[in-house]
Amino acid sequence: MRAALIGAGQIAREHLACLQQLPAVELAAVCDLSPAVAEATAERFGVRSWFTDHRTMLREIQPDVVHVTTPPTSHFRLGMDSLEAGAHVIVEKPATSTLDELTVMAGRARELGRALVEDHNLLFNRAPREIRRLIRSGDFGAVIHVEVMVCLDILGPDGFADPNTPHPSLSLDGGAIADFLPHLASLAYSFVGPHKSAHAVWTKRRSSVLPYDEFRAVVNAERGTAALGFSGSSQPDGFWLRVYGERMQATANLYQTRLTLDGPRPGPSQLRPFLNGLAEGSAVIGAALDGLRSRFGSGPRNYEGLWELLAATYRALGDGSPLPVAAEQVLAVNRLVAALKPAGTTP
Amino acid sequence: MRTLVTGANGFLGRYVVSGLLARGHDVRALVRPTAQLEHLEWPASVEIFRADLRSTRELERAFDGIDVLVHLAAGMSAREDLMFAVTVSGTERILDAMARTSCRTLVLASSFSVYDWSAIDGTLDESSPIEPVPEIYERDGYAIAKSWQERITRRMAEAHGWDLTVLRPGFIWGRGHTYLAALGLGVGNLHVVIGPLSRIPITYVENCADLFVLAATDPRARGETFNVVDGEGKRVWTYLNAYRRGTGDRRLRIPLPYSLAFSFVRLAYATFLRGGTKLPHILVPCRFEARHKPLRYSNRRAREILGWRPPLSFAESWSRAYG
Repeated sequence: MRAALIGAGQIAREHLACLQQLPAVELAAVCDLSPAVAEATAERFGVRSWFTDHRTMLREIQPDVVHVTTPPTSHFRLGMDSLEAGAHVIVEKPATSTLDELTVMAGRARELGRALVEDHNLLFNRAPREIRRLIRSGDFGAVIHVEVMVCLDILGPDGFADPNTPHPSLSLDGGAIADFLPHLASLAYSFVGPHKSAHAVWTKRRSSVLPYDEFRAVVNAERGTAALGFSGSSQPDGFWLRVYGERMQATANLYQTRLTLDGPRPGPSQLRPFLNGLAEGSAVIGAALDGLRSRFGSGPRNYEGLWELLAATYRALGDGSPLPVAAEQVLAVNRLVAALKPAGTTP
Repeated sequence: MRTLVTGANGFLGRYVVSGLLARGHDVRALVRPTAQLEHLEWPASVEIFRADLRSTRELERAFDGIDVLVHLAAGMSAREDLMFAVTVSGTERILDAMARTSCRTLVLASSFSVYDWSAIDGTLDESSPIEPVPEIYERDGYAIAKSWQERITRRMAEAHGWDLTVLRPGFIWGRGHTYLAALGLGVGNLHVVIGPLSRIPITYVENCADLFVLAATDPRARGETFNVVDGEGKRVWTYLNAYRRGTGDRRLRIPLPYSLAFSFVRLAYATFLRGGTKLPHILVPCRFEARHKPLRYSNRRAREILGWRPPLSFAESWSRAYG
């Protein structure tokens, strides 16, 4: 399959590094408004051609799949143009700035028989996959509640809070935190299904160009409840996922490979806290070693989920099997994202 | 002569501005929108143009009445993509703007990091090879960005018939910037000194700025490339002694011969680290060489063509950096 990519920034490198490893994919073109960025990216990843105008690229290359990895406010226009050019679209999160745009784009994809996949990469990290496996096997029991809490320093001067050049995500409702909502919403959707109602609280702790730097939400969903959060002040950085089941509880840090499970174990029940402690300790040590290995090795590092998702997407596009992130999931996740947005409130 | 200086309030830029003013030239200082300038105590004659090279539109207004661009601005982020965006895309945008004006002369601050350190033995000078493709992508984000910055600047200069002077400084040091990556690495109370007898290509910031001012104002510099070093390079141990005297650093020094350290890095990389995508710089052989390889350095070209001598000796520089 001929793949093309629009927007050669940081996340684009992860897409390209993965695509380089997929045997059935030809890296046909990369496009960026900056000629130097486009050319350097093409040179570095062995991409055959580079462009600064996406329409020229779509016309000349006629790619089978287009990866849209630009800032979110341009996703709708680039995604629509790519669909009209006959390509499947894999778009970085958030797929569009608004739910209305996404509804239009998903509708057009359906009419044209093309796939529209939003990057819900964290669902494909090892820990969420393992938890889902335990749920399917029945060992975990039904999920009662899921908590997702992201702690990330977004207030540093050369990232989201750069006072000299406004970060593109600041044009989203919710600012920089809105950039992460699809992660939170996709994990909630994955474990407790489509939401029925949601209540969010947006606040600002520190002075910066960001409209908000703290976010909490409670979600009532079809199969359980979710508590979602983002903190720009809590350190160290972490992406905490906690899933409460009828028979087990799972805790993972998705910025690492750490997954600990608390549940029934063979032996006397009085020893259960001790045995759980041993198991937890060994899981933490294992994750620390994994982290070290991934730092010194090649491969996806923190983006293992993205690599897994892209490989599964290309497999599905090739053999017609179901996509790992279906259009219905993209819409449901973004309905929750829309419900969590702070529109109409002030910090 | 009227000069536009980008990165004018940076570590090097502030001395370049002072040097230009001292020689009677007019200066327009391009600084970022939120830059604090009060402490620089620039005279009112310095025009301030606030812009971010990544995003400000209508950069050509910065060139009104300008004869020479001295382009010093570069990214210093830990994130490689941001470093590239600021250094390379920023250069693209300022040069695109320049192409729409009558300014025809520019001086670019490149870097020693563009050289192919693995291929050079003996003396590194302006005739030494630069890092080729694809090897450049093994290097750190700073080297990649500076290589691309020089690449696109040369292309633009050729396409528009501009007079381009490229200056490649070694390690620039001065007050507040005295610790250099070439000195090794600290581990708690220990300081592992790699290659204590290797020379470091250093230039004291005021000496470096002096050559930038000369390059901007002397027609003999047009079309030339100059390495900026204060001499053949100070030995690591000597520089470190001066650093310890100036800062009071009392960590225990563990000298590690270059050949021994490099053999270990090469062996480790060849056996189990190759392909590692996020290795510390010191464990990637080409990055290790770019910091520690024992070479000699020369400013002969600047001496012969421009008659340049670093104005300040090492002792005088030390007094200004630590005094």
